[in-house]
Amino acid sequence: MSTKTPSEADILRPINTFTKKYIALFGVCALAFGAFLVAWAYQLQKGLVVTGLGDWGSGGGVTWGLYIGAFIWWVGIAHGGIILSAAVRLLGMDRYMPVARLAELLTIAGLSAAGFYILVHMGRPDRMVTSVLGHYHITVNNSPLVWDVTVITAYFVLTATYLALTLRYDITRLRDQLPDLFEPVYKIMTIGYTKEEDRVIERMVWWLALAIIIMAPLLLHGGVIPWLFAVLPGMPAWFGAVQGPQFLTIALTSAISGVILVAYAFRRAYDWEHIMTDDVFRGLLLWLGFFCLLFLWLQLQQNVTGLFKAPLSTSTAQGATLDHPIYLLSMGLVFATLAYIFAQTIRPSLFTKARAILSGIVVLTATFLEKLLFVVEGFMHPEFEIYAATPGEYFPSAIEWLSLAGTIGMVVLIFLSVSKVVPVVELHAIEHLRGDHGHEHEEHGETAAEKEVKA
Amino acid sequence: MSTDDESFHPLGNEWENELETMLDDTEYDTELGMEMAQDAFRVTKGELSEAEFHEKYHEDVMEEFGEDNRPTAEAFEAAQEEAKGAASRMLSKFEGDGEEGRREAMKKMGAGAAAVGLGAWGTVENGNEPDPEPDVAAAAEEEEDPYEHDRTQWGMALDLERCDGCLSCVTACATENQLDSGVNWMYVLEFEDPGESANTNSSLARTSGPSPNRLIRPCQHCTDAPCEKVCPTTARHTRDKDGLVLTDYDVCIGCRYCQVACPYGVNYFQWDEPDVSTEDIAEHHEELGQGDHMTDDRGRWVDSRAPRGVMSKCTMCPSRQDGHMGEEYVGTTACQQACPPGAIQFGNMSDEESDPKKYAANPSRGRTLERISPPSADALEESLDGADDDLESVLEATDLDEDTLALMKAVEITGELGTGDGKLAGYEREFQEALDALADHGLDLDSEDVLVELDLADETDEDEEFDGPSVEDAQQRLEAFTGSPESNFRLLEDMGTNPNIVYLGQEPGPHAEQTEPTGATSLEYEQLSYEAVNGETIDLVDNRKEVLDEETVGDTGWSL
Ligand code: SF4
Ligand code: SF4
Repeated sequence: MSTKTPSEADILRPINTFTKKYIALFGVCALAFGAFLVAWAYQLQKGLVVTGLGDWGSGGGVTWGLYIGAFIWWVGIAHGGIILSAAVRLLGMDRYMPVARLAELLTIAGLSAAGFYILVHMGRPDRMVTSVLGHYHITVNNSPLVWDVTVITAYFVLTATYLALTLRYDITRLRDQLPDLFEPVYKIMTIGYTKEEDRVIERMVWWLALAIIIMAPLLLHGGVIPWLFAVLPGMPAWFGAVQGPQFLTIALTSAISGVILVAYAFRRAYDWEHIMTDDVFRGLLLWLGFFCLLFLWLQLQQNVTGLFKAPLSTSTAQGATLDHPIYLLSMGLVFATLAYIFAQTIRPSLFTKARAILSGIVVLTATFLEKLLFVVEGFMHPEFEIYAATPGEYFPSAIEWLSLAGTIGMVVLIFLSVSKVVPVVELHAIEHLRGDHGHEHEEHGETAAEKEVKA
Repeated sequence: MSTDDESFHPLGNEWENELETMLDDTEYDTELGMEMAQDAFRVTKGELSEAEFHEKYHEDVMEEFGEDNRPTAEAFEAAQEEAKGAASRMLSKFEGDGEEGRREAMKKMGAGAAAVGLGAWGTVENGNEPDPEPDVAAAAEEEEDPYEHDRTQWGMALDLERCDGCLSCVTACATENQLDSGVNWMYVLEFEDPGESANTNSSLARTSGPSPNRLIRPCQHCTDAPCEKVCPTTARHTRDKDGLVLTDYDVCIGCRYCQVACPYGVNYFQWDEPDVSTEDIAEHHEELGQGDHMTDDRGRWVDSRAPRGVMSKCTMCPSRQDGHMGEEYVGTTACQQACPPGAIQFGNMSDEESDPKKYAANPSRGRTLERISPPSADALEESLDGADDDLESVLEATDLDEDTLALMKAVEITGELGTGDGKLAGYEREFQEALDALADHGLDLDSEDVLVELDLADETDEDEEFDGPSVEDAQQRLEAFTGSPESNFRLLEDMGTNPNIVYLGQEPGPHAEQTEPTGATSLEYEQLSYEAVNGETIDLVDNRKEVLDEETVGDTGWSL
């Protein structure tokens, strides 16, 4: 551990500094996001014909492509983020407290990107409110897409509440050191705050965390998102029960990778070596390795059942997936990361910051490719494969690729902006690191869960 | 309709056990009864032929009931009489002495076995017999037939063996709806099916001789449409009054989930501004006093090509069904009217007398109605003036040859003429009028001499009484003329979509793959075009991706 003692000043540093690097990064991201907004405007004007998409069937194309693949990818990152943060609170995994709020923010930013993709993907986004909300009471009974929108909204609200509640504690205590510029924001966020509520809020947050942990596999990335595909018998590449667990492992690997990247970026920018210690990253890497293993295990399940003696259409679809260079690349990347992570647990000297970052990037690339291919493969090998134009052709157009850069820019912008207003590391976290065990919450910190993680 | 247990009956073990008890109470062999019922079921599923069934049980039946008189003319007649149900037909083959005996046998075999096995007698594929619809309702009233509706349900019977591959329907649909290039709401494809026997007798079906397998593929207007289920907006919906599955272009958000969920690949998204403007379409039709060809009776925009950003697919012409184009267009579709060989039969699937139901019930008869145009009554009267009234003289005096006359008479023998209000009913009336004109002239088409001469009845011995025309002979006559389809199926039935299109002909198997158009009458999409209402010529295109790629930003030509 570092010799420096974490202080309030440390966590306030992002708010009270304004560097050229910050401006440069902000500029680059704004440019990427702005460029995509222009491209989207062009798409709205011309129609979705500017994409590489088409009609499956006689039309020789695929109906959904990068937009939906990236949508699932972002939702995965988002869901994993909140699961991580909820686990920290629920299981008292205090080691990860310094990254918990970043994980929550990743959820908010990821869900925003995913929500944005829903709009970008639609032919008539202007009707979102009238058509979807107007018939909600009917469609919620049948349409997995409506379930998705419902659950994503619910998660957004839940996470935002969660964040807002925990921020009240910090803002009240740090108010004097926060810039007056955002006074109204702080006023609203701490409205009606009294010291007595701390205990209540702690309980509420605990319950929210519980709700999130329970809902995640049942409804979220183990539920409604995979059901968008897994319930359709017409597309054997998608149909089946393995999609739920598979989506969940992909979400968790993506999210941990995302948290590693974000945390490293903040640590580097604000000299937080003593807050987000190497120990935290070693722990996160180990979790990443564990979820990579689950990821590969479930892929194996699908391949074996799909290839051994499956119905014709299923084995055609699975065979095509297994033969696809992108699929092999994606699996290879995850496997390589897994191998590295296990190696560095045996020989700790193999751990370096750069390699941890690389692991994160590699896994995020792998999960993106896997999601993209997953969506496309469904249309390539439908049950009704009689058409000469099936499997069709698809390659994302320049605008679709730009959307990826645009949403990454958007997510980074959210981090850059939020970190200028509120602390992205909890006050609790540094109190804990300093050893002020003033809180009940932290008291059972060093208990079973902590030891388990260390083990 | 599926059960997890091993029961042969769709209602499952419980029902089966009940029947067994019922049979135990009769004096006849329970095992035999159950076994027969079971095999009868296999026949309905096509696992066993009717002949094999009789072969197998002939001796047992003789032993048990002491009689077996199969097959007889009565048996065949029974099949034709739908009211009496398919069960009686089966049983009548063991019996044979008309109504009395049939009832007796029914009792003997045990009502249970009859209900379980034979009531469901339906899709019997044997020799060249007609193909009545499964009569499951008779077996168990509780069992819901997904294809039964108590309202109008528009649908089609598509005779694949009659399709010429001329793409007239595709062009007509594009014209009717002003579709962009590659938006093939109606699509016709040729396919090869490794592992399936080559097209067996489709050579009889077409005037142009044997042809490759073809599939006519409009939207199936499924009763349980997955596209509708997944739609997040209710834009994709089933119209209450007539079961059409439509897209409300004013509600659709263009998420394309319907296209993802439809197992048939019949949806076409409007990726860019359509070639023909909404105003041009409205103006064109309003000038003709036909409404705007877009808004249906409920005031919803569901017809013609979609505007930019929403989903489209075959509509089965709601503007026509709502009478906006005039009464004479109700019950028609553009594709159906354009099809030269009459391979597309459109109508109300809830009406046994509609074109598709009639056609599917006896395809050979339907084909004959499509293929033969008898001379008009006036023309006949004129040419018969002064001629004798014997068969030879009549044939000599008119344009009719003996075969045509025999076919006309065979059509009359195999079903009532002129029932219902479809196109086939119209043809039947023409047949009727011609036959009446001949009768008026004095030719007795029901006399033994004439019927025997036309091969529509057996000659009787001196001591026998002539019992009229033979339905079986008439049916054979029709089939010898125009064949009977390979099978009768609905597309991807196990997807549970309950499509409202019945196909006649060869079902594409899982290995089936589309091939280039071949054969004398086949055309390629690229050879065709139509003139839009704005005066532009719009080319038909098979693979729409080629059209869409032109506007893709940064099209690399690569594919994942
Ligand atoms: S074929 Fe059935 S599922 Fe497909 S679009 Fe038509 S009604 Fe919907
Ligand atoms: S594209 Fe339109 S009709 Fe199809 S599912 Fe989406 S909203 Fe419904």
